[in-house]
Amino acid sequence: MTPGRLSLGLAVALLAAAAPDVRAAHKSNPDKLPSIRVQDLHYGDVLFHFWADQDAGLEALTRLEAYNHWQRMPHHAVDAQLLAAGLYLQLTMHNEAGARFETLLGDNIPPGVRNKAWFYLGKIWYERGYYDRSEQALNRIQGSLAPQLEAERTHLLVNVLMREGRYDDAIARLRSWQGPADWMAYARFNLGVALVRAGRLPEADPILTAVGTLQSDDDELLTMRDKANLALGFAYLQADRAAQARVPLERVRLDGPYSSRALLGDGWARAALGDYQAALVPWLELRQRNLLDAAVQESYLAVPYAYGKLNAAAQSAEYYEAALKSFSSESDNLDAAVARIHDGHMLEDLLGTDKDMRYGWFWQLKTLPDAPQSRYLYTLLADNDFQEGLKNYRDLNFLQHGLLRWDDSMEAFAAMIDTRERAYAEQLPRTDALLASDAPTRLRAARAAVDSRLNAIETGNDVAALGTTEERAQWAQIATLEEQAAALPLPPGLERDAATDKLQLIKGVLYWRLDASFKERIYEQRRALRELDAALEELQNRWVLVQNARATVPTNTGEFADRIAALAERIKSVRARLVDTSGQQSVYLQTVAATELTAQKERLEAYAVQARYALADIYDRAAGQADSAPGRGAAAPDASAPSPEPAPSPEPLPSPETLPAPAPAPGPVPEPR
Amino acid sequence: MNTPPPNHLSLLWSLLLVSLVPLAASAAAPAPAPAPAPAPAAATAPAAAAAASDSPSDASVAGTAAAATNDDAAGTRALDQQIQDLKKDVIDLNRDLFVLEEELLFPANTQVAVFVSMDVGDFFALDSIQLKIDNREVTNYLYTPREVAALIKGGVQRLYVGNLKAGGHELVVLFNGKGPNERYYRRGANLRFEKGVGAKYLELKITDHARAQQPEFEIKDWE
Amino acid sequence: MYLRFDSRRAPANDVKLAAMTDRLPTIRRRLLAWLGLAALAAGATTSAAAATVGLIGRKAPDFALPAVVGSNVRLSEYRGQAVIISFWSSRCSVCARQLTLLDRLYSTYRSSGLIVVAVSVDDDPVHAEQYARAHAGGFPLLLDTAKAVSRAYDIDRLPTTVLIDRSGIVRYWHGDDRADDTSYITQIRALLDDAIAAP
Repeated sequence: MTPGRLSLGLAVALLAAAAPDVRAAHKSNPDKLPSIRVQDLHYGDVLFHFWADQDAGLEALTRLEAYNHWQRMPHHAVDAQLLAAGLYLQLTMHNEAGARFETLLGDNIPPGVRNKAWFYLGKIWYERGYYDRSEQALNRIQGSLAPQLEAERTHLLVNVLMREGRYDDAIARLRSWQGPADWMAYARFNLGVALVRAGRLPEADPILTAVGTLQSDDDELLTMRDKANLALGFAYLQADRAAQARVPLERVRLDGPYSSRALLGDGWARAALGDYQAALVPWLELRQRNLLDAAVQESYLAVPYAYGKLNAAAQSAEYYEAALKSFSSESDNLDAAVARIHDGHMLEDLLGTDKDMRYGWFWQLKTLPDAPQSRYLYTLLADNDFQEGLKNYRDLNFLQHGLLRWDDSMEAFAAMIDTRERAYAEQLPRTDALLASDAPTRLRAARAAVDSRLNAIETGNDVAALGTTEERAQWAQIATLEEQAAALPLPPGLERDAATDKLQLIKGVLYWRLDASFKERIYEQRRALRELDAALEELQNRWVLVQNARATVPTNTGEFADRIAALAERIKSVRARLVDTSGQQSVYLQTVAATELTAQKERLEAYAVQARYALADIYDRAAGQADSAPGRGAAAPDASAPSPEPAPSPEPLPSPETLPAPAPAPGPVPEPR
Repeated sequence: MNTPPPNHLSLLWSLLLVSLVPLAASAAAPAPAPAPAPAPAAATAPAAAAAASDSPSDASVAGTAAAATNDDAAGTRALDQQIQDLKKDVIDLNRDLFVLEEELLFPANTQVAVFVSMDVGDFFALDSIQLKIDNREVTNYLYTPREVAALIKGGVQRLYVGNLKAGGHELVVLFNGKGPNERYYRRGANLRFEKGVGAKYLELKITDHARAQQPEFEIKDWE
Repeated sequence: MYLRFDSRRAPANDVKLAAMTDRLPTIRRRLLAWLGLAALAAGATTSAAAATVGLIGRKAPDFALPAVVGSNVRLSEYRGQAVIISFWSSRCSVCARQLTLLDRLYSTYRSSGLIVVAVSVDDDPVHAEQYARAHAGGFPLLLDTAKAVSRAYDIDRLPTTVLIDRSGIVRYWHGDDRADDTSYITQIRALLDDAIAAP
């Protein structure tokens, strides 16, 4: 599994285990992951993006935090927090993840989930070089993980111990360790290495030999086999046991990644046993390989050294000369590469023409660009710190790109708010005046007044009140005439009665007319009132809407303007920090690279010095023998020992045919250390 | 008699000594020849172990690393911390921007959101969904296999967010997909709903029941 | 000779041109065709230059389109891989050549993380389907009948080939049918060498 999927595995484990109601896996496919029971739509949206988006969980995390802010996932409080922690981990924010795990992983979380969380946290801390924290996290695991993870956990812990030089602890852990078959070989390998480091070679031998002789088709296992053999071989060489060193060294694959070192070591073993002719075999083979390899560089010296031992001074000199030439040109290449690094081109070379990439901690570089100076960076890329630094650099660039998306939006938002503000500036005063007028209340009061008036009319049978204008005028006129008639000082008699009767008659007719229409008119009035009521209710509803709208909107606009401005500032500031920090990271990477290359150059230089001394010595001896000064010849120092000063070559190199008989060995065979 | 070892050899020896130091899981050992650096904790977990235990080719770098002082380690860690903090600020910023955008463009009192969920998915391979609100097309979304897989796993996609005034509205949905026998077909569903005060959430549920061997399409109103 | 294509206007653009030239006497027609070509070339150059400046270095607009055969394709799902999008039309003869050449590149580099998609701007998907049946290739042929994607990418000539890096940024732009040119290989390798392990 790629580390990326391991993190996803964590996330799913967190999801599935923390949610108690997990739907059973689909009936027709037991290998399908169990569905998560989602009770809040927005939590489901987070999950959707987590699974569908190709951005290492960035969108999912953004939404998760946002929906959390709005409290839209009430049923998934724990799930959401766990998922967030897992996502932070996936995005290489181990501080954040660690802090969250600390608070989250209490007893309410199933132990399986807790253990996995600590495992992944421990693993990423190991990757990042925080060995102490890694150990702490890994030790928080209670009980066991699944076999594969458990094996890896032990392995990580052992590595931490070894890095801290606590070999005995590491050995103790590995001694009796049992695990899945595919891990046993690695465990034995680590045990062997720990024993060697602890100086316990006799114990290490059978273990490393076992690993060094395992049968497999798996390329990774075969590579590990090579490493075991190499480690054992060099351990023996270091212990001055050349004969025993040869056995494992010769088991290393010729076409594997460690064959160069094995060839070199094998040569030294043979040399240690005095058989320089035999030593030439692997060394000459090695010498044909790429000079970038440290082992190959050494072979450039080892070959003439052997020839020296075989008293083939001319060949020896020839090879030393060739070595010097090659070292010199390689040194120039290194200079050029260092210069290029200091010019700032290294990262471009490594990352192509562009600088930002995939987000997340679990990818690594697989191929390298073709630029010549980048070949030196192969060894560099093997360095974990460098790799992690490179990831940081790319993460920072990815984040920078992510922010670009918001630039256009911020402008649009600001414009929106501006327009809104202006629109409201126009509308609000009018709206406020309208609302202040409180029309509904007034109208309702008026309606109430009309209603009670109508009731009074109805109760009092006040037919005249509902008359038409004309009728009411007539009624009023009659009333006036009645008054006047009553007020007139007319004697009672026919005339007065006739006038009064006529008036009464007219009044009666008018009354009769009013009365006849009364009921209908009452009905009409009441109907009108009902319509008014309906209109009033509609008005009331709209009034409430306007009030609501008025209540929510205006405060927002001012707030929004502030928020937009503040966020725009934050974007600027964060962007500046991103640029600055990736600059720092870039400088760090360049420093590491330059240091590495400079170290390589120094090694070449040191080899060159040795070659020059040896050459000078050969010339001296040749000159000495040509002078036929036996004392000088006898006193001539060993070709392999350093001379105080390289003497200039006075005459052309003697050819092999003119060499005198081999002189006796000037001293004991130097033991390789 | 012991003569000191040849100087030019001692370099490599010291480097090889250091080579036995196990290194991190990701520091797999590439050959200096143009061989690709092995994938980290790659195909099988044990690879991580192998890579982690020993990398003789890292010898030179390990040498450099060994030569590097504690200052360097502290400096690296300080930079790493700085990056951690910065990343957190970026995440927070992303969150706040997301929140602002939604509150500004889709305020709660007018917001309407339509979600899509899928239960199982054996009998209907979703191809696209078309949404119409009040007879106006608001979304026509094409689904990729990856997105469908996310739905089947339990994801609930927020397909659409928009604004609606209070009152009655109608949602019409067209689901396009492939049925169990590779036949294309289209199903519709609609729902009249009341938009009140506060956000309105609607869920398009695609379910298939083994019994019926048919997909069902339902719109749930989350009051 | 490239077919001038303006995604913003009605698809009958080229039909109108043909209709116009039909009515003219042969010599005048030829003359006009030459002038037209010159104008097209000039216009195409400037517009291609404009397009080149426009999207290069910016995020490739995301889209989802149906395929002639197979499932829908969404660009953002390919983040992490180098992507080539080639806009074509079944009526554009040189487009076919370009697609064939791209198919070769695809076979060579797909294992290193190269993705190729072809986007057809035919109005009628039937034409694209016919083409697809006649020229089976290794990569998906997508249908942009509504021209939304070609508008988003500001396509005004065919074939147009866009190269996108692993983080979704447009890096190179080609208005030619020379996918066998070394420039393509250099560019593809640069995009791929910006290398990361697929998740």
